[in-house]
Amino acid sequence: MTGSTILHARTINHRNAPTEVREKAHLGEEQAVALMQAVAEIPGGVAVIPVSTCNRTEIYLEVTEGADSPAILREALDRVGACTDVFFGEHAVVLDGMEAVEHVFRVASALESMMLGEPQISGQLKDAYRLSRLHQEPGPVLLRAFQGAFRTGKRVRTETHISKGAVSVAFAAVELARKFFTRLSDHTALLVGAGDTGSLAARHFLQQDIGRLVVVNRSPQRAIELAEVLREEKRTGKLGDARELPQVETESHYGLVDQRPWEELAEAMAEADVILSTTGATEPVILPEMVHRAVASRKGRPIFMLDIAVPRDIHPDVAGIGGAYLFGLEDLDEIIKGNLAARQRQVPHAEKIIAQELAEFRQWLADLDMLPTVAEFRTYLEELKNKQVGFVAKKESPEIAAAVDRSLQQFIKKVLGRSVSTLKQARTEEERQHALETLHRIFGEDEPDKD
Amino acid sequence: MMLAAVTALRILLPILYAATLGLYLWLFYSDHPTARHRSTQLAAVTVITHMATMVAQTAYLQRIPLESPLEFLSALGLAIMVTYLVIELRIRAKNTGFIVVGMAFFLVTIAEIFFRNRISGNPLLQLPGFAAHAALAILAYTALSLSFLYAILYLILARQLANHSFGLLFRRLPSLEVLERMSIGAIKLALPLLFSALALGHLWMYHLRDTHPELAAQLTPWDPKILTTWVIFLGYLTGMAGYHFLGWRGRRMNMLAVGAFIVVMGATGAAHHFFPTFHKFTTASATVDPRHPGANP
Repeated sequence: MTGSTILHARTINHRNAPTEVREKAHLGEEQAVALMQAVAEIPGGVAVIPVSTCNRTEIYLEVTEGADSPAILREALDRVGACTDVFFGEHAVVLDGMEAVEHVFRVASALESMMLGEPQISGQLKDAYRLSRLHQEPGPVLLRAFQGAFRTGKRVRTETHISKGAVSVAFAAVELARKFFTRLSDHTALLVGAGDTGSLAARHFLQQDIGRLVVVNRSPQRAIELAEVLREEKRTGKLGDARELPQVETESHYGLVDQRPWEELAEAMAEADVILSTTGATEPVILPEMVHRAVASRKGRPIFMLDIAVPRDIHPDVAGIGGAYLFGLEDLDEIIKGNLAARQRQVPHAEKIIAQELAEFRQWLADLDMLPTVAEFRTYLEELKNKQVGFVAKKESPEIAAAVDRSLQQFIKKVLGRSVSTLKQARTEEERQHALETLHRIFGEDEPDKD
Repeated sequence: MMLAAVTALRILLPILYAATLGLYLWLFYSDHPTARHRSTQLAAVTVITHMATMVAQTAYLQRIPLESPLEFLSALGLAIMVTYLVIELRIRAKNTGFIVVGMAFFLVTIAEIFFRNRISGNPLLQLPGFAAHAALAILAYTALSLSFLYAILYLILARQLANHSFGLLFRRLPSLEVLERMSIGAIKLALPLLFSALALGHLWMYHLRDTHPELAAQLTPWDPKILTTWVIFLGYLTGMAGYHFLGWRGRRMNMLAVGAFIVVMGATGAAHHFFPTFHKFTTASATVDPRHPGANP
């Protein structure tokens, strides 16, 4: 691929392998480190970066040119006790050279993710890269490919809207609430029902810095307990069940979590801007007359009501009351579908960015061919300079010798800079190769020293 | 030469506004990166061209181009664009651009289609007091126009949410809270501007009695247009009192903002139509059609 090393990748992912195969392919941290050491020990192996997430296990291998990369990988996997057959079976996708580079660029841009545009993959790739840097020295191609992938991923996330919009039910609920109130920290949410679903929804709203949360439940003890748990989680920043949501960067605001008795539900509704209802009741518990009273006392301020209970908690007639906006699970589902379709429309923009970054990578690869010849040239010039400086040092003072050394160093820098730039500007590949060969013939190690 | 430049700029203006509107619509519908990057740049070019047009007109006509309601409309379009650009750069949200630019495009196009260059204007227009009074009035009406636009967007989004429509408007528009804040904020800005414009107009009128008695004779504080403007001011002031002290919010408040602006437009138009004596400075003017410079209708 570069004249010295080549890239080879194998991927087992959600697109081509069922869960049980992906489970077999998974490489833990210890196995990944062992694989790096094994590859380094096998002749021809340069470096490897294994990436293992719940949806994919991928191995990016760099070997010297001419080496049998599948054989090296097979041997390394065998040595670490990994499930080698999976990586050489029907579910594995094999990618060589630029195909592998393009693939890692697409993975970093979350185009290959199960949930298009999801943000976690970038962190997972970085973790794999950091681990590899700790235990080995990746070759130039692997290094550049991963650095390019991170840059591409960042560009795709910032220059397109591929990560925009909620794609989970909990986040869709928050997104819908944000269509009413941008700064949730200025508003109050009322949680009706203290079950698992309700507590999860409450956690999401607390994580998004809702200003105040009031829990109302038929069983007061359960409401008190949940309020205490949520208050403590909010205080310590451990809203564990809502981890998948990105934290909103707002000023630190510890929302007050409170509880009220079931009998005060109507009063609590009048004070709430967001109502989340999740009781296990078989009949509606929020009736039109209660909502009418709440709306009347709010002087036009809207109430966002989300009924995520089955059967429903909020009477359907509430939907017709002006100022009260009632939504259910099917609405959240529709929002998610819309957001996924919008993300899909961003794919062509993301692919354009990937194409630009790949073109830059190709250029870098082409320039990489020059490095050995340029290094020979530099060595020749450095030797020449050292001889001259040695000669001057014998005849003149150390200060003069140092001045000559600095001057010649500048000279070398300029000559090399000019040579590299001329080589890069070659109009055709043949012209460039010809120039490289000429340079090698004149200054290569096998040429006699003209001095 | 100057007339040719003014004519060329005034033909160019609606085209630029149309192109800017097209770009903002493209941005709204497709969220395309090119539209996202270029819309603000083109809006800035449009604003600069409009400003250059007004400077060229001032130089050519030797008066501020605020003589007729059409010139006022054009200046209002420019003020709306400038205000919108400032808001866009501050809050980094471009998704409401299409509606604001759309309104500016409408005003400027109407103004440019029916406009005629009037070489000689009323001497009142050459006084600096008039310029300050007119500028404050334009800014006040700009703020009221923006309040109207944001209130319209509020009502559209509220309707979409009530109908559970999660389409383009749902995804692109900011929250109801933000739209209401922008609409109310624009009124809060308009009220002191409108009051200052009215107060300065009255002061200037009394000042003219001493300095230019012949011009002051044309003016009276009981002119229906002035009285209408005071009524408009008091109407909005009442609305703001309701917002602050009675807690008026939401759909009702935004319907009030929309209704109030429609009343403003209707009342101002009616005052201009039925009482054409004051704030109409064109009686002694000669008109030049820029497309037929030699013809005086």
